[in-house]
Amino acid sequence: MQSFLIIKQHKTSTFAMMPNKYEITYTAENHYDHWVYDAYWQFLIIPMENQSQFGVEIEFYNSLYANIEYSTNGYGFKTIRIHPKKKFDNISFKANFEFFKKEENPFNFPLDLDIFKGYQMLEKLDFKISFERFLKATQFTQLEKAHETMFIFDPKTSIFDNLQALNHWTFKFIQFKTGVTDVDTLLTEIVLKKQGVCQDFTHLFCALARKNGVPTRYVSGYLNQGSGFFGDSQMHAWAEAYIPEIGWKGFDPTNNILANINHIKVCHGKDYNDCAPLKGVVYSQGKNQTSHTVTVQSQQ
Amino acid sequence: MANIESQIFASYLRNPDLYDELYNREGKISEVYQKLFNLYGEHSISDYINLNSKAKSSFFNQGITFQVYDDKTVQEKIFPFDLFPRIIDANEWEIIEQGSIQRSKALNLFLWDIYHDKKILKDKIVPLDLITSSANYLDQMNGIDPPGGIYNHISGTDIIKHKDGQYYVLEDNIRCPSGVSYVICNRTALKKALFGVFNHYKTHAVTNYAENLLDLLETVKPNGVDVPNCVVITPGMYNSAFYEHSYLAKTMGVELVEGRDLFVENDFVYMKTIKGPEKVDVIYRRIDDQFIDPLEFKPDSSLGVPGLFAAYKKGNVTLANAPGTGVADDKAVYTYMPQIIKYYLNEEPILNNVHTYHCSRPDELKYVLENIQELVIKPVDEAGGYGISIGNRLTTDEIAEVRKVIKDNPRKYVAQPIMSLSVHPTYIDETESFEQRHVDLRTFTVLGKDKEFVLKGGLTRVALKRGNLIVNSSQGGGSKDTWVLKK
Amino acid sequence: MLARVANNLFWMGRYIERSEHIARYLNVNYFSSLDAPNQKSQNRQFVLRSMMFMVGNPVNDEDQVLNEADILYKIGLDPNYSFSILNNVKYARENANSARDLISTELYEAINKFYHFVINYPAEVYVKNGLHDFTNNITEMTAVLRGKIRGTLLHDATYATILMGVNIERATQITRMINAKYNDALMAQGSYGDKFSKSFEWTTLLKCAESYDMMRRYYKKAPTSISTLEFLILNPNCPRSVMNALNQVNEHVKVLNPEKRYNKDSTAFLIGRVRSEYEFKYIEEIENDIKSFIENILNSLDKISNKVDAEFFNY
Repeated sequence: MQSFLIIKQHKTSTFAMMPNKYEITYTAENHYDHWVYDAYWQFLIIPMENQSQFGVEIEFYNSLYANIEYSTNGYGFKTIRIHPKKKFDNISFKANFEFFKKEENPFNFPLDLDIFKGYQMLEKLDFKISFERFLKATQFTQLEKAHETMFIFDPKTSIFDNLQALNHWTFKFIQFKTGVTDVDTLLTEIVLKKQGVCQDFTHLFCALARKNGVPTRYVSGYLNQGSGFFGDSQMHAWAEAYIPEIGWKGFDPTNNILANINHIKVCHGKDYNDCAPLKGVVYSQGKNQTSHTVTVQSQQ
Repeated sequence: MANIESQIFASYLRNPDLYDELYNREGKISEVYQKLFNLYGEHSISDYINLNSKAKSSFFNQGITFQVYDDKTVQEKIFPFDLFPRIIDANEWEIIEQGSIQRSKALNLFLWDIYHDKKILKDKIVPLDLITSSANYLDQMNGIDPPGGIYNHISGTDIIKHKDGQYYVLEDNIRCPSGVSYVICNRTALKKALFGVFNHYKTHAVTNYAENLLDLLETVKPNGVDVPNCVVITPGMYNSAFYEHSYLAKTMGVELVEGRDLFVENDFVYMKTIKGPEKVDVIYRRIDDQFIDPLEFKPDSSLGVPGLFAAYKKGNVTLANAPGTGVADDKAVYTYMPQIIKYYLNEEPILNNVHTYHCSRPDELKYVLENIQELVIKPVDEAGGYGISIGNRLTTDEIAEVRKVIKDNPRKYVAQPIMSLSVHPTYIDETESFEQRHVDLRTFTVLGKDKEFVLKGGLTRVALKRGNLIVNSSQGGGSKDTWVLKK
Repeated sequence: MLARVANNLFWMGRYIERSEHIARYLNVNYFSSLDAPNQKSQNRQFVLRSMMFMVGNPVNDEDQVLNEADILYKIGLDPNYSFSILNNVKYARENANSARDLISTELYEAINKFYHFVINYPAEVYVKNGLHDFTNNITEMTAVLRGKIRGTLLHDATYATILMGVNIERATQITRMINAKYNDALMAQGSYGDKFSKSFEWTTLLKCAESYDMMRRYYKKAPTSISTLEFLILNPNCPRSVMNALNQVNEHVKVLNPEKRYNKDSTAFLIGRVRSEYEFKYIEEIENDIKSFIENILNSLDKISNKVDAEFFNY
């Protein structure tokens, strides 16, 4: 499988408050050695609509002209499903998304919050129940006992400051390197190798933030790589942590930054498993060619 | 009548330590069994040998079999059937029936709660950990309202009669409980073999299960559907319960489908028929959660239907039981049943729970580790009697081993006092005579929108190995026809 | 009815029918050869070769000496030989299993008993002196199955599907037998002046098709090549004839697709076309070139089966 990802950013206005117009193109190609008689694909690649992203327009094409179905997955995120009705050995997909993205100030919250109150909230049972899903360890966010205390929050500084420190710490701890890990690599191995890609940074960040009692979720999306950010995978991944009285805040440990206008969110979940951009069920014998190539472009 | 007794129960050895349902407290044949006992006495042991082998070959010829997997071979086996029926009188049955319904309803409310407001957790009746650490809790079910508000449409409740003459629940099975077809087969087989005995008892029929099940499935149809199209989905003919799946489909008069017979289009489910696609509205599924939809759960599952969960979430198809019911099937949840019943129904539990020690709690873990000899150790998430250790059957080395296994993963285990299952006269092939064997009872409860039904019969399972307490078919258990007497 | 299940029922019908024909072919050929009027027909090698030819596995090497016990075992009870009766019965039951909710308890039980009879039949008894008992039981049990199919199933799409399978298979097996015996008759001629047209093999063929008595009653003469072929191929009243089978298939396909409009791509159209071709055939046309006739009919039956598959079972 080959996929190409192109992001175009149209400069629509010089006013800072005006949203930017984005255009993302996603293409993928699959070749099979033998006929495929039945197959289903589910794409989780549509930019979601939220406060800062809106007006999403979708164009989707597949080379077999199979019916395109829009649905939602188990967590309510928009999906595209394809189920060709005839046999094939070759199929390509192309998606085009156009939307607006607005700059948001990551520090748009009161700075005089009571630090102690925040930590107190984290300890409340009702809070733990409400955020249960993003507090538990999952397949990809499971650390070995000895590693669970690798990063301990300083209770004297705010949760936000601690998360920023964790963001920085994760960025330093893992060296960005492709080809060392894949989508199945577990944290226990990454912690020892200290190398990996955005997924691995994000999983480690999530695991440690959760261990410190902060609800944290894995975010899958696109990164507009205008100025040399790391994000060399099919799609980018970062994290969102829930800070009492502030809400969800995005952290990109791969790049040691807070999520900003360049982070285009598709969906979130407990870990990669909830967010896999492409899931396929293909009934075929023999091999298929799967090589991933990703190109990310931005136009200023 | 003395000579009658000498004929067939002459060699029947009664262990006074066990609760034998044939006898009353005074040690006499209990009243409900008196007539049956006399009637059976009119036959000689050679009649039984003959009837027994005929009944066996009848099961075999009808193909009422299940498959057992060894290392390499697949063997076709019949579920051994015993000719001596178990009788439950109307008063005792009333308790069992009401108790089973009570539990099903409470579990249903529990499931609704933990997939919505989670009040029971907030009120600290059950610990949050019970859900976060359960492999069967499905995050995707959060906020979904299943049609009719029903999660556990079909429950199988495993009940035993203890030494004290009281009924205790051992397990609530609300994933895909099986065995109901055997209830009906056992009745048919016994009627064929010994029709005469039925003339002397007023026994409830058991053949009305399928019609009740179909009625139930129709009460939980998706919104906007007039006459729902119901199907049964099976993992396929190599599944050990395939006979039951085909039996249920056949008696309900609905299609028995496999995953590959269905497909999802625009979030509606269709089956592939000789006349093209036909919409499906209600699916009685006999496939576990993890296998129902490879796009949402286990990606390499070929048993399920890609896109099924999305269709379910949209409310376009009903799944029975609902996905995610398994969390309440967890043996750790079982231990909170008395509290759960009280919390939601404000009632006292009708059926007893066996006291359970949670190895996840340090003080209880300590007790368990020190008293393994007197306890049954069970993994919380295994079905079919696998992984169970019975303390007083273990050697010193084995105890040490069990101790280690528990210590390594305490959350995975619970322990209960060794319950003494009642015994029942059972015909034993090897000795060609009746002997005492331990029995339990699985009742089948069907819960619909404003509808509930308990099959008046249930499956009496019998541990055929002498002294064995595990009655599951995969562990060498058999079964008996179970008569519920009319008032 | 589910497409997959329909496919299973169709093949269940075919496998039941196939086991019957193979069993009878073994029985009739073996026992009639024992006192056949000429040496060739009496020759055991000749009979064993004919059996292998009929199941579609001809032995071409003239010098190879076939072992009776081996051949009988292979065709009867060899679990590793996919054409064996044992495997046919096994496949029939497997297909029945996955359609179990649709067929009657009585039919299923009969198939199941049939299966247990075959897989429990002791191979050493069978090759030594059980050939008659075994094959006779097979043919009787298949007759019971036919009765159960007819008498315990609703005559709806399920029934039509099974009978389509049964009849397409019957036409196929009858044609295969004709092919095998035609081949035998060619080889047996010459010895003792036995003419091809009056070959002893035609009697054997009719018996293999359980049609000898019917044929004698109809023609009141000893069978010849032409009368035998006419009877087994063209006579619509002979329940074993190709024509009769095609007529039935034609009836049953209408249950599955009652559409009446002109549709040359439908199965019904193809069956009707093939049926009409044989309805108005001169037997002389067939006799002139039996070989191509056999090839043509097998070809047509194959096409019908594929068409059924594509129209009704493909999913």
